[in-house]
Amino acid sequence: MSALQEQFVTEARELISQATDDLIVLERDGASPERIDRVFRAFHTLKGSAGVVELPAMSIMLHAAEDLLASVRQGAIESGPDMIDAALACLDQVSRWVDDFEATGALPAQAGEDGRILAERLRSFLPAAAGQQPPAPAAWPSTPGKVETLPKWVARMIASERDAMAARMPKRASAAFAISYQPIAGCFYNGDDPLQLMRQVPDLLAFHIEPREGFALLVDIDPYACNLRLRAISVGGRDEIAKIFRLVPDQVQITGIPLDALAAIAPAVNDADQSLIRAVIEAQCELLRVSDRTDDFAGCTGAAARVATNALRHANRPQLADRVQRAGATVLTQHDARPLLTALEQVLVALADSPTTIAADVDGPGTAAASTTERPVERVLRVSEAKIEALVNLAGELVVAKNALAHSARRVEQDFAGQEVARSIRRDHDAIDRLVAELHGTILQLRMVPVTQVFRSLHRLVRDVSRQLGKDVGLVASGETAEADKTIVDRLFEPLVHLVRNAVDHGIESPTQRRIAGKPETATISIEASRIGDRFLIEVSDDGRGIDPVVVRRKASEKGLVPVDELTALTDERVIDLVFAPGFSTAAEVSDISGRGIGMDVVRTVIEQIGGRVSLASRVGTGTTVRLDLPMTIAMSRIMVVEAGGQLFGISMEAVSETVRVTPDRVSRIKNNEGFVLRERVVPIVSLAELMNLPERTKEATVARLFVVIEAAGRIAAFEVDAIRDRLDVVLKPMQGLLESARGYAGTTLLGDGQVLLVLDMKELLP
Amino acid sequence: MTVRRDDNGVIVLEGVCPVEDAEPLLQMLQAMPTADIDWQACHQLHTAVLQLVLASGRIPIGPCGDAWVAQWLAPKLTQNEAAR
Repeated sequence: MSALQEQFVTEARELISQATDDLIVLERDGASPERIDRVFRAFHTLKGSAGVVELPAMSIMLHAAEDLLASVRQGAIESGPDMIDAALACLDQVSRWVDDFEATGALPAQAGEDGRILAERLRSFLPAAAGQQPPAPAAWPSTPGKVETLPKWVARMIASERDAMAARMPKRASAAFAISYQPIAGCFYNGDDPLQLMRQVPDLLAFHIEPREGFALLVDIDPYACNLRLRAISVGGRDEIAKIFRLVPDQVQITGIPLDALAAIAPAVNDADQSLIRAVIEAQCELLRVSDRTDDFAGCTGAAARVATNALRHANRPQLADRVQRAGATVLTQHDARPLLTALEQVLVALADSPTTIAADVDGPGTAAASTTERPVERVLRVSEAKIEALVNLAGELVVAKNALAHSARRVEQDFAGQEVARSIRRDHDAIDRLVAELHGTILQLRMVPVTQVFRSLHRLVRDVSRQLGKDVGLVASGETAEADKTIVDRLFEPLVHLVRNAVDHGIESPTQRRIAGKPETATISIEASRIGDRFLIEVSDDGRGIDPVVVRRKASEKGLVPVDELTALTDERVIDLVFAPGFSTAAEVSDISGRGIGMDVVRTVIEQIGGRVSLASRVGTGTTVRLDLPMTIAMSRIMVVEAGGQLFGISMEAVSETVRVTPDRVSRIKNNEGFVLRERVVPIVSLAELMNLPERTKEATVARLFVVIEAAGRIAAFEVDAIRDRLDVVLKPMQGLLESARGYAGTTLLGDGQVLLVLDMKELLP
Repeated sequence: MTVRRDDNGVIVLEGVCPVEDAEPLLQMLQAMPTADIDWQACHQLHTAVLQLVLASGRIPIGPCGDAWVAQWLAPKLTQNEAAR
């Protein structure tokens, strides 16, 4: 698979999930223009990328979806649940195809047919006529009365091409538009030909094309990265223009130009000119203030009005110029200079207030703009998980290597009496220790991801399941940005799906039942993630019927999950907890949504595997809350699995200093204890089997004995084992319940075959 | 191929020049830093191809066969040249 194809797969998945999300929000909260735009863009980009990797079936189907969304955007049709269903089905199909494409590099053989059927389904929502002809132009969002800024380049373009434009200007032009089109760098890959779009613009007056960021040298240029900016002035209809650019609304800006501005626009006005114009007008004010003392009143005021008018036209302020001109005419008829003076003073204020904007409420057409608000782009660096994993491992190794320094210091001190050197090594050790701890922490942070992605998919799940069951359920998610280790977040998906599914299927009543119970017909499932200290909590609550302990008791005894006498002794809370027992299902019938009796025990198993706990609280008639209490990071411990007395035990590798085989003749008995000499030290022997009250294997005099040497807190011992099995990275689960206070155990972990392994705390077991 | 080099060492654009022509055109422009470009026989120019013509800074031998480009772009190319 080429890099381009790989990128397509990654991006397509992101777009699918984003579009799915947006479609669901759109259905729930209504079709706001921004929302439809987002969905539209996602489909459009998907279509474009499908074209680049040459998947025509996908492009054609997405094209149909795009047409449909365009119609919704124009308001030609309303979005409804069935239409959203179709759009989601389309995304599902794309998602499956992306999987196929990733696995085999191609779409399945029936892709064309599948795509055609879905495209037909999508097109069936279009009004009959729109099926054949391209959708009418999108209505551009307009804000009447809003002051519209005329881009500076418009004045420059008019100034430099004035004559040519005048020649092309039709007699009966009613409006003019400035079009600024900045294609995205990857537009060629989307199949766009920006020039082709510009060619279609009607009644072009001026056109300009230039590099967006100066052209690179030919040797460095990327021929397929578009680095152009296309600008034009047209006197065609806005709708017609908008229609041409309907597929690139985010890259184009269409601004109305008042016609008189177009006619009167003079060379560009810069700030220096602006102050010059102010000075000119101020001078006319001075002149008018003294004008009643002069003989030539008419000549004086007439000149002042003319100078001011010309200056304002030069400054691209036709409305102000007109106002001054009108005031000048009044002054001449009334023989009173004051109206003109007032007008000029107002002009000065207007100039100070809005140096470069034109009030768009002055003239009728051309008041709407299609501009995109600049979205801050979040820069994300994609790093493969394997690389992060390698970093985590390296940091782990560094911790071990650092620990060796402490040993070295001790040896220098003891064996070579080098206190000075030992102190120096210890100082270095401390410094490295701090840095390593920091490094380790930072690297673990890299693995922290928000639960957003997992929560996102739940919206879709709730929507689909509730629609299928004819229930009305809304999902409220909060705290999506809370972060936890990627391993934990990844593993959360399955349990959360079970919980949410269960809530919709079993927890939430039918709308009729809810009405009778006096509850709102729309049920709410809320899911909330939060961080408390170093724990990561997720609560899934519903406002459904709750879990009835009576029903649970009956089911539990029917299924024989708990002996009857034990069951009666249990409190209601403990009884409710039985829903987590394997094989428990309270649903009257097995449905294909849940109720196969495997849901809840899977939840508990998975959560416990990642070192978490599940608890449940429920009140009949009010609802159920399931609380997942998880660690934020998975504290992986490296353990050695050993066998003693026919059982397996785990020993934390941190405590193991070495493993040795010793021939029986080297073992000597000192009083009641056995021991052997290892590098000039006497190491006492402890039989692990004996320690654990397990039968000891009979020792043969000729076979070497196997020891795991443990050294901690200045003490040393050799634990005799029958065999060393594996070295594993595991998540330790602390001992719970009765065993919580048992000494000598660090915790338990599940082995690959489902066996529970006791992990020993060797420091406590040292004699 | 609608981009070729003729016997006089001129890079000739012919017929419809689609986006795929950008790559070979760039190679020719790089290989022949002084070669002229002749676009008289080109009826339709893709933006990517035009972008390279602009980036090369060379004034093509015209008029451009693509009438729209000839009307809206070619005059400016000569103006720019005059300005230099």
